[in-house]
Amino acid sequence: MSTINDFSGYQPTWCPGCGNWAIGVAVKTALVQLGFDPSSVTAVFGIGCSGNANDFLNCYGFHALHGRAIPAAIGIKIANHKMPVLVLSGDGDSYGEGGNHFLHACRGNHDLTVIIHDNCVYGLTTGQAAPTAKKGYVSKSTPNGIIENPVNPLALALTQGATFVSQAFAGDTPQLIDIIKKAVRHKGFSLVNVLQPCISFNKINTYGYYKEHTYKLDNDYKRDDYRQALEKASELNEEKFPLGVIYEVDRPDFTGELPQLDGEVLTEKKRFTGFDLLIKEFI
Amino acid sequence: MEKTLWKIGGEAGYGIMTTGLAFSKIASRSGYRLFDCTQYPSLIRGGHNTYEVVFSEGEVSSTKKKVDCLICLNKETYDLHKTRLHKESLVIFDPDDVNAGDEGKKIPVPFKKIINELAGQAIMANTVALGASVAALGGQEGVLMKVLEDQFLDKGKTVIELNQKFAKAGYDYVVKNYRSSVKHSLQGVTSKDEQLVITGNESFSLGSVMADCRVFVAYPMTPASSVLTVLAGWQNKTGMVVRHAEDEISVINTAIGASFAGARSAVATSGGGFALMTEGISLSGITETPLVVFIAQRPGPATGMPTWTEQGDLLFTVHSGHGEFPKIVLSAGDVEEMLDLTLQAYNLADIYQTPVFVLSDMLLSESHRTLSKTTVDRLVKEYSVNRGKSLAKTNGERYLRYRLADDGISARLPVGTKGFYYQANSYEHLEDGHTTEESSTRKQQVDKRQKKAEAYIKNDFRPPRIYGDIDSETVFVTWGSVKGSVLAAMEALASFGKKTALIHFTHLYPLDENRIKPFFSKEKRYILVENNSQGQLGKLLRQETGIEIREKLLKYDGRFFWPEEIVDYVNNK
Repeated sequence: MSTINDFSGYQPTWCPGCGNWAIGVAVKTALVQLGFDPSSVTAVFGIGCSGNANDFLNCYGFHALHGRAIPAAIGIKIANHKMPVLVLSGDGDSYGEGGNHFLHACRGNHDLTVIIHDNCVYGLTTGQAAPTAKKGYVSKSTPNGIIENPVNPLALALTQGATFVSQAFAGDTPQLIDIIKKAVRHKGFSLVNVLQPCISFNKINTYGYYKEHTYKLDNDYKRDDYRQALEKASELNEEKFPLGVIYEVDRPDFTGELPQLDGEVLTEKKRFTGFDLLIKEFI
Repeated sequence: MEKTLWKIGGEAGYGIMTTGLAFSKIASRSGYRLFDCTQYPSLIRGGHNTYEVVFSEGEVSSTKKKVDCLICLNKETYDLHKTRLHKESLVIFDPDDVNAGDEGKKIPVPFKKIINELAGQAIMANTVALGASVAALGGQEGVLMKVLEDQFLDKGKTVIELNQKFAKAGYDYVVKNYRSSVKHSLQGVTSKDEQLVITGNESFSLGSVMADCRVFVAYPMTPASSVLTVLAGWQNKTGMVVRHAEDEISVINTAIGASFAGARSAVATSGGGFALMTEGISLSGITETPLVVFIAQRPGPATGMPTWTEQGDLLFTVHSGHGEFPKIVLSAGDVEEMLDLTLQAYNLADIYQTPVFVLSDMLLSESHRTLSKTTVDRLVKEYSVNRGKSLAKTNGERYLRYRLADDGISARLPVGTKGFYYQANSYEHLEDGHTTEESSTRKQQVDKRQKKAEAYIKNDFRPPRIYGDIDSETVFVTWGSVKGSVLAAMEALASFGKKTALIHFTHLYPLDENRIKPFFSKEKRYILVENNSQGQLGKLLRQETGIEIREKLLKYDGRFFWPEEIVDYVNNK
């Protein structure tokens, strides 16, 4: 049985009070409670404050390019589909720079647990507006207020085919741990959108703001109702943030649809040598 | 050795490509060597499509100007290509559509009437014409029928018999009406060797399977697309996972992820798609993740001319990716080189843990050529998959992914190995993979990566190959598919008594100055021949070795070199 210490790498460099701390602890706790050890998990990191967790989390890790954590994770999953693969990424990373990859990964139902640190701001580049920032948000890059509407991550994931869509709050670690565990257990594309206050650069979306604007889904909430899930997702328009698993259904994941991968993992298969089968097409 | 050129032309969408390939297989199975090429606009319907096949008892490396048998499926074909006819050329056409002039010998075949009599569709004209042309060149009916059977095997008996019926009608019409005009160039010769009729793209695909590539990712882009479709078509047999991703950025990052996790991985694209991939090239460089990148060049910039040929991306490839890191650039000049270099590329990527490029161009990518099965079998037999330095575990010490080494190569440990973990990092990193910005470590890691290029020069670089007598007064210098046109030109020049040689590069970067300079040490006429406007190999040679080739024959109109224009250039300049 592993411990949180086994998963703990370097001391994080996040700002004191940053929501990332809670996410870091929650990821490690969830992995311990699921019975994993650092050899049995792969995590792919984006670029940003969230991605810096590469040095703080012990496991097989790939620190990808900005926006490209998801396609790298897809490749890892294809090569070794029995290995749990987590993606730790930010709102700018996966909803901005890598938005195209995000929506196509939902379509493919790739079996990844995508944990997005959603703080509505670019922290590592010191405070420009992120794609999830509320319309009118004033930042260094949008001094007159951001013109665009915010991305709706939950609605985007739902409409593009994700089979597990959830939202959590960095101010509620126990619920966050529970949701991450469910997301990792789910076979298919799992989104955990974590509302995460950036105490250094975002003076709007604070802990207090989220305490006021979030609420937990009822215990009897039906997770497999697509229309209801869409309604929950659209509450963003009224600045309401439901917390919990808003949608979960079973659908074969990408590697599950590949006949090549119905047995052992790709890297362990015997080399194909029936070249004459192919050569005869050219004769 | 006498060469015969068969050519068919017509509107796009009328089966020109299928008919051309059928003719190539007929020539190959009749014992001949061949080279074919196709020209077509970037359209699905309409526009002028052509397909030409040169066959001979001896090796054929290029097309030629004079057409010996021209099939005109429409009037435009005759008008556009009549200048390539000679007195003995056979011209096959439907007299109801085409009013052929005086060039060549006319073989009118009423395609439409024959089709109507057999209650067929207009598109069958190409099949009737194929049969007619095989008869006109003295080819065997049995070979024609067997090739059609194999070509339509997947489509079932009805389709096979339908095609055979129309081909036979064309064949019989010519035998009956033009017995005295029939040639013997396709009558068949004995060949010891079974031949593959294969394109550059198919050769890369076959090589990838033979090299045990397990993950292939691509986004369609002419003229690289057929690598994706061929490998996807084979995946149920080979077990390779083929992903058609949402864009080229996803393509390269997926392949890098798969390679990090232990699967041999490759991508294929053309210039525009490669431009999107370059950040990933840099990622492969710093994370030291093996990757094979196939680039089928076409004329740029931007969308350029999608279905035409050019060698415009050599320097782009050599300099691709931000930052400084080693990369290995290979380039094939024909289908045999493609197979050989593809096999090498996968081993080099694993040995040096860095991106390895295999360059092609539209002419090589889409032209078929015969390739002896004995050669293919030999290459496979001689090949062993070399995954480079790796460990199953360590001797109790801590595993360091980026451990410093004399040759710069650190051993890999499979992701998922119990009792270990490590990270590959796109940031500059310590030997163990953790991020660093410390000055001495940074310098150590840059030097470590660069040492891999030095190790490649020492252990695996291949100097250019020499064709002809290197002591000749005139020496051509090439890379890529231009080789084929130059070899054909050299053959023609030799027949006039002019001896020439060729220095042909396949390992293009990095270059070993010491092993290249001796080839350029004499005062003689070196001619750089490239399908681009800037003489990019010339620039690269000057940059890397100080060699300067002053005389350049460059072509950049999207068309390949005719051997005849190279001959004219050499004789008249």
